[in-house]
Amino acid sequence: MSTNRDVGAKSVKSWKVSEHHGAAEWLAERFTALALIPLTLWSAWSALKIAGGGFDAALAFVKAPVNAAVIGLTALICVWHMYMGLKVIIEDYIAGPLRGFLIFLVFLLSAVLLVATLGALYFVHQGA
Amino acid sequence: MSQDTPHRPLSPHLQIWRWHITMLSSILHRVTGSANVAGLIMVAAWLVCLAMGREAYTVFLSLAASPLGLLIWFGLSLSGFVHLTGGLRHLIWDMGLGFTPKNADTLTFWTLVLGVVLTLGFWALLFFCGKVSL
Repeated sequence: MSTNRDVGAKSVKSWKVSEHHGAAEWLAERFTALALIPLTLWSAWSALKIAGGGFDAALAFVKAPVNAAVIGLTALICVWHMYMGLKVIIEDYIAGPLRGFLIFLVFLLSAVLLVATLGALYFVHQGA
Repeated sequence: MSQDTPHRPLSPHLQIWRWHITMLSSILHRVTGSANVAGLIMVAAWLVCLAMGREAYTVFLSLAASPLGLLIWFGLSLSGFVHLTGGLRHLIWDMGLGFTPKNADTLTFWTLVLGVVLTLGFWALLFFCGKVSL
């Protein structure tokens, strides 16, 4: 029974912690989802426009400042949404020390994706 | 199982439940969300190849516009659109709407259909406007 009580005490403790930041994460999931509705539709529309146009059409598209800004914003929110989603999946199915390691890997992937996309945008505009 | 873990009943799992559409779509939302990671990596690769110049971009296109590449893009777009409409469903539920079993089933059915329709429409436009060809 004593172990039971420990588990209870532990969950009350984690509840006390999540009381302060749990809602923020829940809201962030919803706000990124909301923002991604127009952003992904815009991405699909843009893909329709530049598909088949080769290098020149793609470069001209990304060089337009407004497009570059929206691509950057989409990348940022996409990666944020991806990080939260993968973290939830890992937390649901993986226990033990592997959990923290996998979440770290997801964090690394998020960082690499952000550096790659924002870096590529930077270089495209450097060459202007 | 560690010593600290109290003996608690386990919940019945996938093999026990009869499959129903909201369960299918819940699993599908996680599957498509995970598959979208591959899509995000592909789009990032597209942007990086573009920044690297004409040669790298031509290599990217030779792979991305090949029949196998198009098949992969088709799968990624299906996953993306199904996750998008599935996300819409979750946002509707988050507002506290459509929670009776019948409404939840109907909503789920139509969001799945909409995801497939958006994907087919997207590719119909790509092919009929001559943007891609096999």
